Amino acid sequence: MNAFQTVAEFKAYRKSIIENHKKHPAKPCLVICGGTGGQASGSNDLIRIIKRRILEQNLQDKLALRITGCLGFCEMDPFIIVEPGYNLYPKLKMVDVSRIVDAAVKGEVVEELLYREPGSTVKRFTEQDIPFFQGQTRIVLGQNQHLDPIRISNYLKTGGYEALEKALEKPDGNWIVEEILKSRLRGRGGAGFLTGKKWELARNVNKGHTPKYIICNADEGDPGAYMDRSMLEGNPHAVIEGMIIAAIAIGANNGIIYVRTEYPLAIKHASIALREARRLDLLGKNILGTSIDFDIEIFQGAGAFVCGEETALIKSIEGKMGEPRQRPPFPIQKGLFGHPTCINNVETLSNIPYIIKHGADEYLKIGTANNSGTKIFSLVGKIKNTGLVEVPLGTPISTVVYDIGGGPSGSAKIKAIQTGGPSGGCIPSSMFDLPIDYDSLAKAGSIMGSGGMIVMDQNTCMVDVAKYFMNFLKDESCGKCFTCRKGTQRLHEILEDITRGKGTSGHLILLDELAQTVKDTTMCGLGQTAANPVLSTLRYFRDEYERHINDKRCDAFVCKELTGAPCQAACPVDTEPWHYVALVEKGEYEEAYRVIRSANPFPAVSSRVCDRKCESRCNLGISGGEAVGIRAIKRFVTDRIDSSAYKPKLGRKKKQEIAVVGAGPAGVTAAHCLSLLGYGVTVFEAEDRPGGMLSCSLPSYRLPKNIVEKEIKTLLNKNIKVEYGRALGKDLTIQDLQQKFSAIFLSIGAHESWPLNLENEDVEGVFPSIQFLKAFNMRGEELARGHVGVIGGGNSAVDAARVALRQKEVISVSLLYRRTREEMPAYEEEIDAALEEGVRIETLISPVKIHVRQEEIEAAIREGVELETLVTPIKIYSKEGRVVGIECIKNRLGEIDASGRRKPTPIPGSEFRLELDTLIVAIGEKPKSEFLAHMGLEIDKGGRIKINRKTLETSMKGVFAGGDLVTGPNTVIDAIATGKKAAQSIDRFLQNKPLTIPATPKLPSIFIEPAAVDETAAQALRRVEPAVLPPSARIKNFREVTMALPEDQARAECRRCLRCDLAFTSKQTIGQPMAVAMGGVQHD
Amino acid sequence: MDTKNILDIIKKHNKNKVSLISILEEIQGAYTYLPEKALRLLAKETGCSLTDIYGVATFYKTFSLKPKGKHCVSVCLGTACHVRGAQNIVEEFKRELSISPGETTPDNEITLETVNCLGACALGPTVVSDGQYFPHVSKSSVKEIITRTKGGGRSIAAEADIRIFPLQVSCPLCGKSLMDHDYIINGHPSVKFNVSMNGKKVWLRMSCLYGKHTVELENQLPPNELSRFHCPHCHNEFPSFSTCPECGASMAALFVREKCSWEVCMRQGCQGHILNLDQINLHKKSDKGKNK
Repeated sequence: MNAFQTVAEFKAYRKSIIENHKKHPAKPCLVICGGTGGQASGSNDLIRIIKRRILEQNLQDKLALRITGCLGFCEMDPFIIVEPGYNLYPKLKMVDVSRIVDAAVKGEVVEELLYREPGSTVKRFTEQDIPFFQGQTRIVLGQNQHLDPIRISNYLKTGGYEALEKALEKPDGNWIVEEILKSRLRGRGGAGFLTGKKWELARNVNKGHTPKYIICNADEGDPGAYMDRSMLEGNPHAVIEGMIIAAIAIGANNGIIYVRTEYPLAIKHASIALREARRLDLLGKNILGTSIDFDIEIFQGAGAFVCGEETALIKSIEGKMGEPRQRPPFPIQKGLFGHPTCINNVETLSNIPYIIKHGADEYLKIGTANNSGTKIFSLVGKIKNTGLVEVPLGTPISTVVYDIGGGPSGSAKIKAIQTGGPSGGCIPSSMFDLPIDYDSLAKAGSIMGSGGMIVMDQNTCMVDVAKYFMNFLKDESCGKCFTCRKGTQRLHEILEDITRGKGTSGHLILLDELAQTVKDTTMCGLGQTAANPVLSTLRYFRDEYERHINDKRCDAFVCKELTGAPCQAACPVDTEPWHYVALVEKGEYEEAYRVIRSANPFPAVSSRVCDRKCESRCNLGISGGEAVGIRAIKRFVTDRIDSSAYKPKLGRKKKQEIAVVGAGPAGVTAAHCLSLLGYGVTVFEAEDRPGGMLSCSLPSYRLPKNIVEKEIKTLLNKNIKVEYGRALGKDLTIQDLQQKFSAIFLSIGAHESWPLNLENEDVEGVFPSIQFLKAFNMRGEELARGHVGVIGGGNSAVDAARVALRQKEVISVSLLYRRTREEMPAYEEEIDAALEEGVRIETLISPVKIHVRQEEIEAAIREGVELETLVTPIKIYSKEGRVVGIECIKNRLGEIDASGRRKPTPIPGSEFRLELDTLIVAIGEKPKSEFLAHMGLEIDKGGRIKINRKTLETSMKGVFAGGDLVTGPNTVIDAIATGKKAAQSIDRFLQNKPLTIPATPKLPSIFIEPAAVDETAAQALRRVEPAVLPPSARIKNFREVTMALPEDQARAECRRCLRCDLAFTSKQTIGQPMAVAMGGVQHD
Repeated sequence: MDTKNILDIIKKHNKNKVSLISILEEIQGAYTYLPEKALRLLAKETGCSLTDIYGVATFYKTFSLKPKGKHCVSVCLGTACHVRGAQNIVEEFKRELSISPGETTPDNEITLETVNCLGACALGPTVVSDGQYFPHVSKSSVKEIITRTKGGGRSIAAEADIRIFPLQVSCPLCGKSLMDHDYIINGHPSVKFNVSMNGKKVWLRMSCLYGKHTVELENQLPPNELSRFHCPHCHNEFPSFSTCPECGASMAALFVREKCSWEVCMRQGCQGHILNLDQINLHKKSDKGKNK
């Protein structure tokens, strides 16, 4: 017996379900995802508890539960949405579920469990308030929320199969083809062929003859894309309805859903849906009493990426190897078993019911002219809100990445997105204005593909990404075309060489040529697009390739053979932190000191003020634990061991004399290193003492003066002469020096503060931070009094604020910063300035970085500094020539700027006045350079000396320059590194050797027996932080705030080290450096 | 390897060459790999050349010619997982298990595999062990996954776990309780009703714990065959509203809290069941199409 004799009967039934649904007052309903993502995150557990609660409390009349497929916001799984209020409770734990059940019954909201943006305290009461959902147009995916995929009645209730009814009422399918043509729907599988066109061809071929096939391609092989799985899991009837309509349109009577075997839940839900549809006579012979016969079966793909290609897919269904064949004939003419076959993607088919139901005109309103409708993307990778995102075609990438996706997942900036899977390419963040549509993406060297959008940040290595895809493709190439089979393999080998430090400059040309050849000489889509990952990364990230090849560096710390132990690789002066940490663990403190000192002439200074690039790259911190407190361990060693433990060897005296200008850390380091090589060095210093920024800028509560003096004293020897009070440009010129010295190193620092460029900035009581700090540190003058305002967010702003707080006549100190506190100590003004000038700044960012820098601010706040963020000063008020206050305007975070952060944008009308007695401007420092230009040095348009960054040569022969003078304000450790590099370059210059040395990766080379370490235990242990003076004991004085670790704590901290070096040195693993103990990539 | 079993699979597909991949999938499902003997048999029965079968069996990633261990751990190496450090997870598994992907531990416990993409990209790095997904895997969680895999996945202690709870079950037709307070299963009164198959009638007792599948039968019934469930009081057959999500057979609806239904698959050996909180109104069950 048939369930329905006619379409009209079905219509009546369908309507009765809808009516019935409308009649009953809607109970509150808990909606929860039971898709693969939800289940993987534990939604099944929540579902059980909800059911239990409902039954135990006898709530079944008052509360409904709907288990749906994927809702798209997978980052927040497992989550519950409560209707009718659409309150979203993210990342739920089992213990919280009963509270939500109880509240939902009463129509209440559990506020503390509501969704809020990561890092924000603002609660979002409804789903529609959440930026992730706000930015989307979910005409396809949105249905998932309203139905339980294993119940056909749910689909009917939401208007399902209405389109099919319409299609069956006019049995000649031509109008359907016309409508789809009109809608300009393009294939969502990636190629973007007009679906209507395909159907038209399919309809007209062998008209009236059977069999004809319609195949739904759910062989979602693109790694990183999962919308087809989610559709099939979450709304299988939409796909089925689309297929039936397609069958009517083209006259097919056999349907096949070709689905990956890796998607068991999708297979299950599709099977149930097919069964249910058959039960209601929507499939089978004489559908709903019409003359149309059509049924669908499921075919499970056995795992081959190439089977996404239509001819290969067909071979696979025929029971053969999935090798593509030459087209034409196209499957439309000669497909499965030689019969006409129309292949459409899951998402394409899911769009069909919408178009038929609402009409093509309605559909055309979404998207842009040639790219109508929406597209679902799987937004994954290094992004805050991972999940499925459906947006109108033509939406800019930035909207998807920043507004919907919420920006980067960690603190590292987003560098690129990869679209289109292995056949696609990478698009750099500078092009994020690009509208996402088939044509724009293709022009940019990528493709739409099935909609994977993988976000990559600075901790992603683009060469490694290219290698990853080549590895994938060489495995997945079916092998039929020689160029694809061998080409992808060779491309992979070359990339492998580059990531292992064996790259040569010829490799880039070869890659380019080979990629082009593969593209031009292969038969199917896989081969023709296989080169895209290489070509697009070469196009946009050539500098990364060059860095791997020329400098043997992977700045993302991904390529292991170039990284070695990350702590060592991160250190600008090549210290081996793992080495001395291992020695301290054994109690060999003197040897540890020698390890530190052999790389770094300023161990005691560094142990206090180094910005700890080593810790920010520590694998322990990156793999879920807390980074080893390397600097604190170094402090422990340098406090305990006298510098005499390391006796540098003085080389035989050479006849050449060298001039070093500036006795900061760069200058002193250069002088020291050159003196050891036997050169006579004369250091010229403008001030009355050495140290540069160490003495004049860094406050003594961070870096005691005696430490600086003592450390510099040990570096001076009989080969070094220092002349104080001798300033370049005033007391001497480069030309003077050139007459007497064989080489000159300029390292005079950056001593000029950036002005605010506001009126009255020159009145009394307004100080540039450098002037303020210098006056105090060098001469003991206390310039601040009364209420003090400090403008800026960098380290010197925080230093100035804390120094002001310690001055006698100061009442209060406010720190005013135009961005948020999270972004605070990022040297951002310098970054902005440098970016404008085209300087590339390496920013090493990772989870602990924030922690490291934030503690200075934390300390300032504890001492009583008031912090005001998101404000910009716009006016300085003065009275009788002295500052009396400032006017500020409040900011909100606006568009994303070039640095990948949201730009502070003033809020009109939010101006407010602040009464001040002292204003310190600390928005950054810059070097003075005009006078250098007069002496003949070439200056770039940003006012900095032009140098060769690798050798530090200036435009004048024999004159070298480095440090803040060249880079702008930088860290102490970078200055020391520059000094070392200068010494090396000058030495080679004087010996007439080529200045550049071929780079080699710096890998651990000495084996140190490890203590028995349980890695899991190490991850569980907390990092030991050194003790600090309590605020009460440190305000109004300059005692050193941070103390050294006691011995037992220092050694315990060392035991937490994962000893990444062992992978390169231990006896068992020699010869296989990819070995075990290494981890390298970030997962935030 | 059971020759009859293989022959059954081949026969099910009408010895059709075209169904080669489906046949191989079923054989692999039954034996975790494709035994050489099975492939030879397949060649003989279908007339497909062994070369072609070998070609197909080695072309597709799913198929394995080597036996697999008791448990299977797959690490996803999709792009999303890759950029979040999946390679390190593989390295960690290699270290912990001392085997490479594609290999099985010498004690035959665990086979380690990598897979191109599981489609759970938001949860990366993802690992699937015997069908159970582990999201956001870090190096430190690898050990635990191995332990849990060896222990048979998510083992639930029924007494302590809030996810497991007893149901009070009654007949939807006569309303009488089906609980047998004298016969305890899993520490709770059992649910008792009658089962019939081909004229044979036996009683069935099952655990009333939702989530446990302990079933006791008076006499064994042939597995995988369909049976019918009857009320021991009114002797009517329980109504059926839906088909089993696992196997597609009809499910019997038992009542919980009067109108909610606990639907249990009537195929012997199938554990398919749904606890349905939607209210079922028996008087309306003559809905067209619902009761075909």
